Amino acid sequence: MRTARLIVAGYGKIGKAFISTLEGKASRLRDLGYDLKVVAVCEKAGSVVDADGIDLKRLLDGKVRWGKAKTLDVIRDVDADIVLELTPGNVNTGEPGLGHIRAALNGGRHVVTSNKSPLVLDYAGLDGLAGKRGVKLKIEATVGGAIPVINTCLNELKCNGIRNIYGILNGTTNYILSKMAEEGVDFQSALAEAQSLGLAEPDPSYDIEGVDTAAKVVILANAVLEGNVKLRDIRVEGIDSVTAEAVELAKEHGFVVKLVGDVAGRRVGPRLVPVDHPLNVSGSLNAILVETDVAGDITLTGAGAGPRETSSALLGDVLEVLDAVRAS
Amino acid sequence: MRVELLLELKDVPGMLVKVLEPVSANGGNIINVVHSRQGGEVSVTVAFYVRDQATLDRILAALKERRISCDDVMVEGRRYYRKRSLSFILVGHVIDRNVRDTIDRINRLGLVRDVDVKMENPDMASAALLRVNVDEDRVGRLVDCVREIARRKRFLLIEEVL
Repeated sequence: MRTARLIVAGYGKIGKAFISTLEGKASRLRDLGYDLKVVAVCEKAGSVVDADGIDLKRLLDGKVRWGKAKTLDVIRDVDADIVLELTPGNVNTGEPGLGHIRAALNGGRHVVTSNKSPLVLDYAGLDGLAGKRGVKLKIEATVGGAIPVINTCLNELKCNGIRNIYGILNGTTNYILSKMAEEGVDFQSALAEAQSLGLAEPDPSYDIEGVDTAAKVVILANAVLEGNVKLRDIRVEGIDSVTAEAVELAKEHGFVVKLVGDVAGRRVGPRLVPVDHPLNVSGSLNAILVETDVAGDITLTGAGAGPRETSSALLGDVLEVLDAVRAS
Repeated sequence: MRVELLLELKDVPGMLVKVLEPVSANGGNIINVVHSRQGGEVSVTVAFYVRDQATLDRILAALKERRISCDDVMVEGRRYYRKRSLSFILVGHVIDRNVRDTIDRINRLGLVRDVDVKMENPDMASAALLRVNVDEDRVGRLVDCVREIARRKRFLLIEEVL
C-alpha cells in the first residue's frame, strides 16, 4: 500500500469536486494500492483537521465542525505528505496560493495544484524551491483541465524534442467563436449567450482579452519548453475585435477562427485554423497540439475546465507523486 | 534527371509557351504536358529531363522572373521544392488604408493569389482574406511583413496557424 496524508487548501467548486471524486473512487484507489487520507481541509473562514483522516462523506454533507485555524498555519503545522493548493488565483499577486505553495514546499511537502497564478508569477522560483527541498510540484490541472498535456510531454514524450505547442486553452472564447461560426451571430450576441449559460463571467475580460490563455502559455513554456518566460513576454490579442464578417469570410475559405496560444512563438491571438485541422474543436472544448521531432504531431482534446474533470488531473498528479516517491 | 512541374496558370493565350520556353532554352527535354481546365484556371503538369540540378535551378529562376509560380516541383518522383499557400484575414479599414500598397508589399515576398473582401457598410471596418503563395524559405519574412503592415495600418491580423 502506498499511503499519503493530504491537506486540501481551498474548498470551493474544485476543492469539493476533488473531495467528492476521492470519496467516489475510494475502492478503486484501494484496488490500485493507494491509501489516501485527507487530514485537513481549509477555507478562507477556517479549517477541518483530523490526523486520523476526515470522514469525506460527512464533510461533503456538511456534517463536520469547522475550526478557526488559518490555511497557512495548517500547512505549516499539520503533519502531511501532499498539499493540494486549489484556491482561486489572483493573476496580479498570485495570493493566497503563492504563499500556500511556498510554505508547503519549505515544509518539505509535495504540492499538487490547479492554481495558475502562482506559477505564472514565479514558476522558476517555485520549481527551484521544490528541487532544493527534494519534493514534487505537480501542475497538470493548471492547463487544459482534464487534458493530460504536461505529464504526457514530460513522461511519455520524454525522448522527443518538443518544437512547439499550439493550444485552444480557453473554453469561454472557444464557445463564443464556435457560436459565431455556426450561427453567424456577432461577438456581442455570442458573448451574451455564453454569459446566460454561465460559460462566461459577468466580467469576461480575463477570458476574451486572452489573458487566461496567455497564463497557460506561460506555464507550458516554463514547464515543457523550459524557457524562463513571464506573462509580459507574451504578445496577447483578444477576440473582442473579431467581426462576424471575418468569421464568415474564414468559413467561406475553409477556415475557422480560433483563439490560439502559440507557446514557442510566445503569442496569443485569433488565428485561422483549417476546418479539417485537429485543433478545430467546437463549443467549450480545449485542444492542444504538440509538435515533436520523433512522434510527429500529437493532439489532445477534451474538457478544458469543469471541477470534476479538473479533479481527474489533480488525482492523477497525487498518484504520480506517490509512484515517484516509491521509485526513488 | 526527370522533373515534373505542377502549376496553376491563368487561362489566357500564350501562358503555356511562357512556361515551356525557359525549359527548352536551358536544354530541358520535354516528355509530357498534361493540362486540365477548371473555371478561369488551368492545372498543368510539365514533365521533362534535365542534365543536373544547376540546370533545374536556372529553369526555376527563369520561371520566377516571368512571375510563374510552381505549386510543386518533383525530381525523380520526390518533392524538390514546395510553395506554401498562406491565408490571413485583415480586419479594419483595409480598402481605405491603401489596399494597393498592402498587396504590393506582400508581392515583394510572395504572390497574392486571392483577395476576398467583405464590407457590410463603407463606414465600418471591413474584413479581407488574402491568400498568398510563397517559397517555403520566405514564410518567416512574409509573416513579419504582414504583421508590420497590420501594426502600422491598425488592422486586426488573423494569421493562419502554421
